Order: sequence, then structure tokens, then C-alpha cells
Amino acid sequence: MFAPVVADTLCEPGYRRTYFISLMKAHLYFLLLLLVLPFGLGAAESTDALTEAGAQGGVVSELAGQFKVTWPTLIAQIVNFCVVAGVLYFFAIKPVAATLDQRQQKIADGLQYAEEMKTQLAEAERERAEKVREAAVEAQKILTEAREQSKEMIEQKTQEAAAQAESIIRKASEATELERQKMLSDVRKEVARLVVSTSSKVLSRDLSDDEKSTFSESAAKELASAES
Amino acid sequence: MKRDKKITQFAKKLVALSKDENGVVTEAKVGEVLDGLKQVSHRHELATLKSFLIYLRREVALQTAVVSTPGALSDEALKQIEANFSKVYGRPISAQTKEDASLIAGVRIRVGDDVYDASVAGRLERLAENVH
Repeated sequence: MFAPVVADTLCEPGYRRTYFISLMKAHLYFLLLLLVLPFGLGAAESTDALTEAGAQGGVVSELAGQFKVTWPTLIAQIVNFCVVAGVLYFFAIKPVAATLDQRQQKIADGLQYAEEMKTQLAEAERERAEKVREAAVEAQKILTEAREQSKEMIEQKTQEAAAQAESIIRKASEATELERQKMLSDVRKEVARLVVSTSSKVLSRDLSDDEKSTFSESAAKELASAES
Repeated sequence: MKRDKKITQFAKKLVALSKDENGVVTEAKVGEVLDGLKQVSHRHELATLKSFLIYLRREVALQTAVVSTPGALSDEALKQIEANFSKVYGRPISAQTKEDASLIAGVRIRVGDDVYDASVAGRLERLAENVH
């Protein structure tokens, strides 16, 4: 169970970059060691030779004499070794290591920022999905309300239109009835006028003077008796 | 305004003086009133005479029954009319005939603003109005 976790961790891109930087630093230290190793070995050998030559006074001193290794040369080489090691450390290894550390820090920060962004993105995505879901619910609610309102409005308008149509029909019927009554009245009036006119002419022509006188006397007596 | 009211009251008094003991406006009484007016001077003589004429005509109209008829009526019928209308109105009313051929037959009596119609034309008119 632990192995897959380690494998997953090693396969992550951030871990790969960190591992690569550490490897680069190890290579640099190894290169420094290779550079100063000949000086060290030379100094060690000179020292050993001198010591052994001093102690035995044999082959070593002979070899040291052949290679012309002397104490001042040896001390100078040791000093040179220390100087080269110090210079390499302060002007090559340390800046490179600092640069690598900065780079590593930047990469770590970038990774952290990426993780945060990823988290924020996920959060934003979740909020977006939530908002979309709420919007969909709201839209559905609004749609339902709009449908209900439109249905009510249609029903109301239908009722109003029916009432208006009924009112128009009723008014038209009333107008028609009034027109008919007016026509009937006009007809009656005209007929009455014609009847009266005709009767007047007929009575004026056909009644004799005696009949008119008799009727007048009768009418006068009628008025007199009615008023008394 | 006040002057018109005084003239009106004076004209009404003159009309009252123009009646005889029976309350009838007679020519003799009117002549006496006019003679009296001639003898006295009055500031508004013309206006007074105009008002007197108006009220006198109104009084005569109230005391006269204008009987319109297409032909002549008998004296008996006229006397009956005078007697009956005098009794109805409570004042002496004299009948005055007027020929009107448009009535066809019958009579139409007018006393002041009152009209009594028993003519054929009037009956036909009322028939036509009822038919409407």
C-alpha cells in the first residue's frame, strides 16, 4: 500500500523538478570534488612521501627528490587548493546553489499557486455549477409563474372578450329594437296622418251643412253639459 | 322697476273701475275711465294706457268664450254655453262665435288660456296622437 503512494508522489511533476535540481546540485559538488581531488591527492602524496622519507630516508625521499617535491611547494599547493576550493565555493557553487534554491522556491511557489488556483478553480466550478443549478431552478420557477400568469391572462382576456362581445351584441340588439320601434312609430305616425288627412277630406266633402250644424249643436250641448 | 310696478298697479285699478256691478267690463265704463284719465294729467300717461290696454284685453278674454265652429250655432246653444261657463268659472262670460271651416264639424271653445275642443278635426288629431 505504501509503494503506490511513493510511486504516485515520484511521478508528480513538482517532485520531478525538485529531484532534478537536487541531482544537479549533487553533480556540481561531485564536479568540485573531481576538480580539487588532484590537488588533494598530490598534497597527500607529498606529505606522505615527505613523512615517510623523513622517517625512513629511503625510496620516498628519493622519489620526492626526483619529482622535486619540497616543503614550500607542498605548502603552496595546500594553500592553492584551499584558495581554489574557497573561490569555487563562493563564486561558483554558492551562487549556483542559491540560484537553484531560488528556482526551486519559485517552482514550489508556482506549484503552490497552481494548486491554489486549481482549488479555486474547482471552487469556482462548484459555485458556477451551483449558480447554474439555482438559475435553472429560478428559470423554471419563473417559467412556471409566467405560464400560470399567461394562462390567467388568457382566461381573463377571453372572459373580457366574451363579455365585450355579449355587450356589443346586446347593444346591437337594443339598437336594432330601437330602430324597429322607431320605424314602427314612424309608420304608425304616417298611417295616422294619412288616415286623419283622408278622413278630414272625406268628412269635409261628404258631410252636408245640415249634418255639420247638427253635429255642432250636439257638440256644444255636450261641452255645456260636461262642464256643468 | 318701481315705476313699472306702480303703473301696473294703477292699470289694474283702472281695469277694476271698468267693470260694472256684475263684474263685466263694459264699453260705457271703459269710456268713463278714459274720460277721467283725460281730465287728470299723469306723468306716464302713455305707459299707463298701454298697461291698461293689456290688462283690459286680458280681462275681456277671460270674460269671453270664443266659440269656433264651421257653421252658425243657435242662440239657445250659445246661451247654454254662456250659462254653463259662467257657472264653472264663477264670473260672467259672454259667448262670441267665430267661423272656422278647418274644424269640419263641432265646436271649439276658448276661455282665456283654456281650450275645450269637441270638433271633428280635434278628435281626428287626438286619434292620430293616440295611434302614435
